[in-house]
Order: sequence, then structure tokens, then C-alpha cells
Amino acid sequence: MVDKSSLRSNKRSDSKDAKKGTDSKQPAKASSRKTTVKKSPSGSTGEMEEDKQLDNGAEDVDMNDDTQDSATTATLEKPEAANKAGGDGDVEMDDGKTTRDGGEDKKDEAKEDPAIAAINEIKDNFNLLERAVTLFDARFTLRVLRTISSLRRRLTPEILARIVRDTYPADHTSVRRLEAVIGYDGAMEVDGVEATAKESPSGTVLPEVDIYIHLLTQIYLLDQKSLEAGARFSTELVETIHSLNRRTLDSLAAKAYFYYARFHELLPSPAVTSIRPQLLASLRTATLRKDVDTQANIITLLLRNYLLTSHITQADHLVSKTVFPESAANNLIARYQYYLGRIRAIQLDYTAAHNELIGAIRKAPQTAAAAGFVQAANKLNIIVELLMGDIPERSVFREPRLEKALRAYFLLVQAVRIGELDAFFDTLNTHAETFKKDGTYSLILRLRQNVIKTGIRMMSLSYSKISLRDICVRLRLDSEESAEYIVAKAIRDGVIEATLNHEKGYMQSKEMLDVYATQEPQEAFHERIMFCMSLHNDSVKAMRFPMNQHRLELKNAQEARERERELAKEIQDGEIDDDDAGGEFEGL
Amino acid sequence: MADSELKSLHAGLLSSVSKADYTAASRTLSVLKLALLERNALIPSSSTPVPTLLLAREILEIGALTSIHQTDDAAFSRYYSQLQPFYEDGRLTAKSPSPHRSKIIGLHLLLLLSKNDIADFHTTLENLEAPEEDPFIKHPIMLERWLMEGSYDKVWNATKGTQVPSEEFALFSQVLVGTIRNEIATCSEKAYASLPVSNAKNLLFLDSDGAVIQFAKEKGWEVRDGRVYFPVEESEKEALASGTIIENTIGYAHELETIV
Repeated sequence: MVDKSSLRSNKRSDSKDAKKGTDSKQPAKASSRKTTVKKSPSGSTGEMEEDKQLDNGAEDVDMNDDTQDSATTATLEKPEAANKAGGDGDVEMDDGKTTRDGGEDKKDEAKEDPAIAAINEIKDNFNLLERAVTLFDARFTLRVLRTISSLRRRLTPEILARIVRDTYPADHTSVRRLEAVIGYDGAMEVDGVEATAKESPSGTVLPEVDIYIHLLTQIYLLDQKSLEAGARFSTELVETIHSLNRRTLDSLAAKAYFYYARFHELLPSPAVTSIRPQLLASLRTATLRKDVDTQANIITLLLRNYLLTSHITQADHLVSKTVFPESAANNLIARYQYYLGRIRAIQLDYTAAHNELIGAIRKAPQTAAAAGFVQAANKLNIIVELLMGDIPERSVFREPRLEKALRAYFLLVQAVRIGELDAFFDTLNTHAETFKKDGTYSLILRLRQNVIKTGIRMMSLSYSKISLRDICVRLRLDSEESAEYIVAKAIRDGVIEATLNHEKGYMQSKEMLDVYATQEPQEAFHERIMFCMSLHNDSVKAMRFPMNQHRLELKNAQEARERERELAKEIQDGEIDDDDAGGEFEGL
Repeated sequence: MADSELKSLHAGLLSSVSKADYTAASRTLSVLKLALLERNALIPSSSTPVPTLLLAREILEIGALTSIHQTDDAAFSRYYSQLQPFYEDGRLTAKSPSPHRSKIIGLHLLLLLSKNDIADFHTTLENLEAPEEDPFIKHPIMLERWLMEGSYDKVWNATKGTQVPSEEFALFSQVLVGTIRNEIATCSEKAYASLPVSNAKNLLFLDSDGAVIQFAKEKGWEVRDGRVYFPVEESEKEALASGTIIENTIGYAHELETIV
């Protein structure tokens, strides 16, 4: 996410900087599309409102992803970086600006034809992008990105072709590339009136606008499932982006990388690995430029990429060699934590994995679109909890959006909880496909020993003395010898408190200790207090502190001091009149 | 170096391996590796012709097996890492998948297991498809499973000569038996109060009563009247861990102060 505070400080001074910005950053401003702000009579208050709205909106997250990509991939899909909520509203509200010529006509038409409405919306977005560049304020870009999910449903080749034709000068390099992939060249005269001449583009096109159109095309291609073309197109796009160095491009670029990786991932096998060099190079560049959006996005993409081909070691190296930007978007952090949890689980570091996964589940957006992610994270978390020897809470399985997806895991947990090896293997075999698809199969195989341990534990709790033969029969172990070793190991690992008698072949449970006589309650209490403390501290950290607020306080303090001084002075002066006033004071 | 020379060296390597003369083999290997390096074949690249790469892969595989025979773990790990890109290269695998691949991976897994590097073991396992269907890879997987659940008798049986999938795997048996014996020893300390020497012999997979007494001495166990007595664990629990309590309470006070 963009650094809010710096943005806000930009905002404050942007009226001054605006002109400077135009000169230095944007010679291309001389485009024919000039903007007139119709609403928001007093610019400054309008801006303030926007500011507030955006701040609220930033908390919400959107999973703009391929929810239509069927359940299988939906599970894998991760939340997107864009913030959606509260977005569409303000676009309508204070950006009701249209092109100077024939704005009214267009509005009327917009009601009639959704295509034209979409075109207009895209063009409005161009204005926003321009503003983002001139004011050097990434919030406008974010707002543009928020509209993508609604635009996505309406994209057609006609719209794209039209946009391309209207935006670029005929000899622009992008035109041929875009038209080639859009595959629509029929003259679009449906709207007749809309004379192209009026909008006829001249001069250069802003790179932001250029990339935005490319991004839309990417999404269109993904929805059309033209993967080959999409992959080729994205590769070119990414190369272009890589060569550009504009901070206002960052969030757009991050998006473009996402779809770039997605295309290659859907293609057959060598494509997945082939993008790694490019991603790594881009990561380096993004890190050097302190481009947090792209950086965070590419790290998660790379991790996902490595995990897809189960290159755990490489993924682990990446994690240890990079620093995930702390100010990244919440969704990206959730994703990152999920991948980290996965890596740690495979490396048998279950406690770390558990922490990461809990973080991922909590940070994940609560919207329906993110259900796939939450399901995937919960599945993994259940297995990790089981491996740690805990039993997941039942309420997890009751949540409506999880219930169905976690069905197989529920049966598994039941088997582990009772300690029945048979039930465990039954579940494992019947749902093997599900587990393999979720990538949890190999982790579940590790659970076998936990099932045995639980079984032994149950037996040690129920019987004060039991023969090894009975243990062997009940746990369906192969031999008494195995049973003896297994029980011995359980005793050493502290699973049960018991002793073995080898000659007579039985296990004798020790007397149950009174837990409250030990340190345990105190430790549990300590743990809870620590949790509350860190929750409190994290909440304080997560609060937003308006920029320069402390200066205001300082100023207030200064004023107060001044007042005090005046007061003192008055009192001093007043001392002369003290005698006069004396009587009154006494009265008080 | 000419191609013919490379060929002859390769033939020499094969013959010394078949004669089990591993010292000679490792000498030839170092010359061969230099030759491969000149041909830019030690790391698969698209510019190197496929037959040369296949040859390189074979030479490296022989090198890996040779280092196992020489019980040079570090060298084996190096060969294993060098072989990784060859196994991942789609061109090579499509043309002729390596016959030794699963063997090398199985040995690598076994090596990790004997070093008790379980995390790496599972990481490697995650990379494999259908690992349980390959006898070479299944062997270390089953060993790990038995070790983890505590079926040491099964591990013991599996390390015996006839059960291992190939002779190289048998070389790890010694290490593994040492590992499980130590495991059993620590388990026994906790699980039994005392054991007859003859039973301890069976439990620890030792050959004679004398070996048991020797082993018991190493572990510091007491042997009396034909029984092994394990040291009784003195209860070390303090009545109150005052240090931690004070520390915690001061911690809370500090936190509270920052809140208020």
C-alpha cells in the first residue's frame, strides 16, 4: 500500500506543488482531453472529504480475483491488492467530470448503451490517472484500480478497440500490439455521433494511461481464456514496465505483474518456471526504487510460483533473503503469511506455521470473494494444529462458508481425536484426491504417529494397567514388539505418564498428577496475559495518527503558554489595581 | 580434450566402478569433471548438446554413488546438488529419463535421515511425485515413519542386508542402527525401572550379554544381579519458580504503566 502519511503531506502542499509537478513531470499534459471539475464547488473541502472517505475505504479489502475461475482455482486465488469498498461512490460523486465537448450528450447516451458507459468510465479513469500524475498522488491511481472489478464484467473487444483508437495517435507503437491481441478491427460506428475527430488523440500518451489500457486488455484476455496470447502480451508489457521508472506507475505495475504471473501459471509446465528470472529482476528493481506495491506483490508471486513447483528450499531462501515491506496492503500480507505458513509446515516448524496461518486467516478479507483463500488457509491450519497435537475447535467446521469445504478435514480430525488408525486411513483413502488437490496429503501422512500417540494416551487414561498384547490389538499394530517400543517412545516424549514391565508385558499408568499443583495454570495465565498485551500493543500500532497532529498540539501548547504569559502580565499589571479588586476577591 | 579421450576415460571409470575400485574411480572422476567443465556441461545450458549433457549426468551419478561407497557424505551432497538441474531440465528428462534418479534421491533422503535432518527430508519429499511407488524412495520414507512412531524393530529388520533395495543403502545401516540404539536407550531409561540383561540385549539389538554390560557402562546404567537398573530421575521441580514469577509480574507492571 502506498504510504498514507507521505501522501497526505503531499496533499497538503499539492496546491503549491501542482504547478511545479506539471512542469517537471508532465510535459505531455498538453493532451486534448482537458478536464473540468463540475462538482465540488470549493476544491479544498472536496478534497478533504475524499481524503476521509479513502481512509475509511482503505480498511476494506477486495478479492477482485477470478472468482469465476471455478472452485478449484478459486481456492488458490489470493486476495487482490486493490481496495474496493467506498470507491465507486466517490468516483461518481466528485469526479462527475466529463470531457468538455458534448458532456451532456454523452451522459444521455450512457444511459442507453452499457458499452458507452464503460467507455466513459474508462475515460474518466484516464482523467484520474492524469491527476495522479500531475498531483503526484497515488490515491487517484488506487481509485482507478478499484473500478477494475466492475469494469471487468463489461469489457468487450469493441470497447477496448474503441478506447485504443481514441487514445493513441495512429502511429503509436502500442496500437498495433493492442489491436493484434484484441482481435477486433471492425469500425465501430454504432454510436455514430461520437465523432472521433473531436477526441482525436494528439501528441504523446501518458505511460500511466498506456499501462492502464494494457492492464484492461490483460484482464480481458484472461477472461477470454486466451492464455497463450495473454502470456505473450503480458511478457511484453512487463518488459515495458520494467524499463519505466515512474513512481505514479507503481500500483498499476504491481497489478500487471499479477496477471503476468497468472497467465504463465495457467499454461503448461515450463511456463511457470520461465518467468522467474523476470520476476526476480523486477523484484530487485522494485526494491531499489522502494516501490512497495510491486515489491510486495512480486514476493508473493514468486513464493506462489516456487510452491506451485514445490521448490520449498528456494522459497525458503527467498524468504530469508528478502524483507517483506511492512506497509504492504493487508491482502498481500495475508497471502505472504499463508505461503510462509505453508513453507514452515513442510519444514516441520509447526509453531511458526501456526502463527503465520492464524495471521493469514485473521487478515484475510471477510467478503465472500475471499472465501477460497480463507478455506485454503483453514485447511492447512487444521492439519498444522493436528500435527502440533491440538484438536481444532469445532466452531471452525460450523462456519457456513467453510463447512462444506472442510468436510473431509472434519472426518480426519474426528479420527485423530479418537485415535483410531482404521478410521484415519479410511478417511485418508476416501478423500485422498481432495487432500492431494489441496496439497495437504503429504502433511496428513505425517499424522499417523499422532493418531497412534492419541490412541495410547486414551488407553493410558482409561486403564491403570493394560497388557502390551491388548494395546497391540486395539491400535492394530503389527507386533507386540512394536507396541513396546512405541509405548516406550510415548513415555519418553511425555505423551503419557506410565512405566513398562518387560517380563510380564504390561503397561502401568502412573497416578494422575493434580494439574493445579504444578506451574501449568500459571503458565497458561501468563500466556493469556501476554496475548492481551500484544493485542493491545498491536492495536495501538494499527491506529492512525493524523500527520502533523503533534505540531498542532505544539502550536496549541505555544498558544496556551502565550495566553498564560499574557495572563501573568495582566496579573502583574493588575497588581497595581489589586487594592481596588481586593474587596471583590474576599467576597469570593 | 578430445571426444575420444573423454570416451576412454568414461569407459575407464565404468570398469573401475564395476571392479569396485573406488579410489581409482574418484581419481578418474576429477579428471572427467574438468573435461566436462571445459565443455560447459557441468550445468545444463541450452547451448550444450544433449548427448554431452546426458554423459555429464551419468558421470555425476557415478560420482555420487562412488562417494557413497567411500562414505564421503559431503562429496555425495555436492554431487546431489550438481545433479539437481539435470533432473529438472525438461529436455533431458524427455529424451531419456535417468535410470539412477530415484536411487540417488533415495540415498540423499537416507543421508538426511541418518543426520536427523528431518526438515530437509520432508522438503525433498515434497518435491517428488508419487514417492511411495518407487522402491528406492519408499525405503527411506518407511524408515522415517517407523522412526517417528517408534517401531524400532521394523527399522532394525529393514536395515538387514536382504531388505535394502540396493547395496549402497546397506552402507547406511550401521549409522541407523546406532541411531535407533541410542533412541531405544533413552526411551528405556524413562519407561522401565529395571530390565534383565538378556531382555535388554534383545531390546537393544546387541549380540551378547557382554555387549549389554559395555553399553550400560557407556550410558551410566547400573548392572546388578543380572538386571540393568536405570537411574531414577530425581524430581527437580521446585516448589516455586520465584525468578520467573517476579520477572512476569514486573513485566505486567511495565506494560500496565505504558497503557496508563
